[in-house]
Amino acid sequence: MATAIEVKNVAKSFIIRHNRNNSLKSNIVGVFHKRFREEKEILWALKEVSFDVLPGEAVGLIGRNGSGKSTLLKIIAGIYPPTSGRVNLSNARVGTMIELGVGFHPELTGEENIYLGASIYGLSRKEIEKIYPRIVAFSELDGFMDTAVKNYSSGMQARLGFALAVNLAPDILLVDEVLAVGDEAFQRKCMAWMEQFRSAGKTIVFVSHNPEDVRRICDRACVLDLGSVVFLGKTDEAIDRYHALLGAA
Amino acid sequence: MKSLFRYRELIYNLVFKDLKLKYRDSTFGFLWSLANPLLVISVYSFVFGHLIRIGVERFPYFLMIGILAWNFFAQSVTMSTGSILDNGSLIRKVALPMEVFPLATVLFNLVQYFLALVVLFPMAFIFFGVLPSWSWLSFLPILVLHVLFTLGACFVVSTATVFYRDVRHFTEILLMLTFWLTPIVYDIRSITPSLQSVIYLNPMSFFILGYQNALYHNIFPSFPEVTVLAGLTALMLALGYALFVRLKTRFAEEV
Repeated sequence: MATAIEVKNVAKSFIIRHNRNNSLKSNIVGVFHKRFREEKEILWALKEVSFDVLPGEAVGLIGRNGSGKSTLLKIIAGIYPPTSGRVNLSNARVGTMIELGVGFHPELTGEENIYLGASIYGLSRKEIEKIYPRIVAFSELDGFMDTAVKNYSSGMQARLGFALAVNLAPDILLVDEVLAVGDEAFQRKCMAWMEQFRSAGKTIVFVSHNPEDVRRICDRACVLDLGSVVFLGKTDEAIDRYHALLGAA
Repeated sequence: MKSLFRYRELIYNLVFKDLKLKYRDSTFGFLWSLANPLLVISVYSFVFGHLIRIGVERFPYFLMIGILAWNFFAQSVTMSTGSILDNGSLIRKVALPMEVFPLATVLFNLVQYFLALVVLFPMAFIFFGVLPSWSWLSFLPILVLHVLFTLGACFVVSTATVFYRDVRHFTEILLMLTFWLTPIVYDIRSITPSLQSVIYLNPMSFFILGYQNALYHNIFPSFPEVTVLAGLTALMLALGYALFVRLKTRFAEEV
């Protein structure tokens, strides 16, 4: 079977700038004075990472802080270019949930923000009109659509953001810790939806710090440490490896 | 280009979000955007028309043509310093064609330009008896070239600001200087040939002269003039777009 996501020898380096400067003056002054010179250090966030995700499969990415899992997700999403290697995506609709309510503007109303937020993912006016009632229903914010989002509580904002993300109907979903916001009821709703999405045969890549969430959603998990894959396989075993890493640290 | 079409709803939303936010909750709404050009035209008309007597007939109308076209260009370029930078939180979280941001900036200012023209042209008609002429038809092709030229400049500026934040301040100063090196408040024919050659080093001069010929002197642009405008536009757009495309993959890491 064709893969949904193919990550091949992906490496990513970031240039860490000490004494960071973004101005012409400091570039010029730096030539003469060492104190103002920018020191560059190369940090390899990912080193030769490879794995495949099959259609309909849910794969968890776990690892300690700074292990490279969020960077990997952003590379799969096409936000960062890999330094070397490549990512192949089957030509499916990819949905990225790195943060809820991306692009929402506090001064705009709930309705205006739904149109703006959905268009950021490349939806046309017609497509948005079609999913609009579903977004409103899912968010349970029916009476607040003509209110500026700045007057929403943070829970309401999260609900609107999640309702939007859910209804973009992607085939491949890339999720990064978004479920850490909102109260318990909201988190339960999110997890229930992820399970539903999964049983509908969609593909998920899920970055999380919470082993229980990964266990609930994912068939397989990938443990990353210091930019390399240290384990790829059954979720339970992966979580054990992750705990071992945490214990060793 | 294909993906830009797919993102047309986003472009529309970006343009009208700014317009909506700019005038929401203000009593006079978009009339405020006319306050600036009206004031500038009035003050310059008084200073250069009455105090210094620059000797251009229907001087406020002459000024209006140059000022509105200049404002469209200068405001687009000024705003574009933040096109990428100010959308950093979005660019770091969603993969989308980043061309939409400078494009939306130019379209936002184009809408403002249109609104100003729609209100101020009838005023020129009433106060200065300006009558339409066939040469006005050449306004449209000049405008198209001017918009594309401006877009090219915005690609350059929006990209450069990501890597060098100084560009924002530098742009302001450069625009102020360029304003006086463009024949907006004076007639190019009233200055010495050596000064004229300096003015011709500034690409914006050709666009302003094109507008003035079409709308003020009521003459069609000559073939060499059209060639120069098209050439400048092609050059600026190609340069700007090439720079933008070359560096856009680094935007998410740099903003």
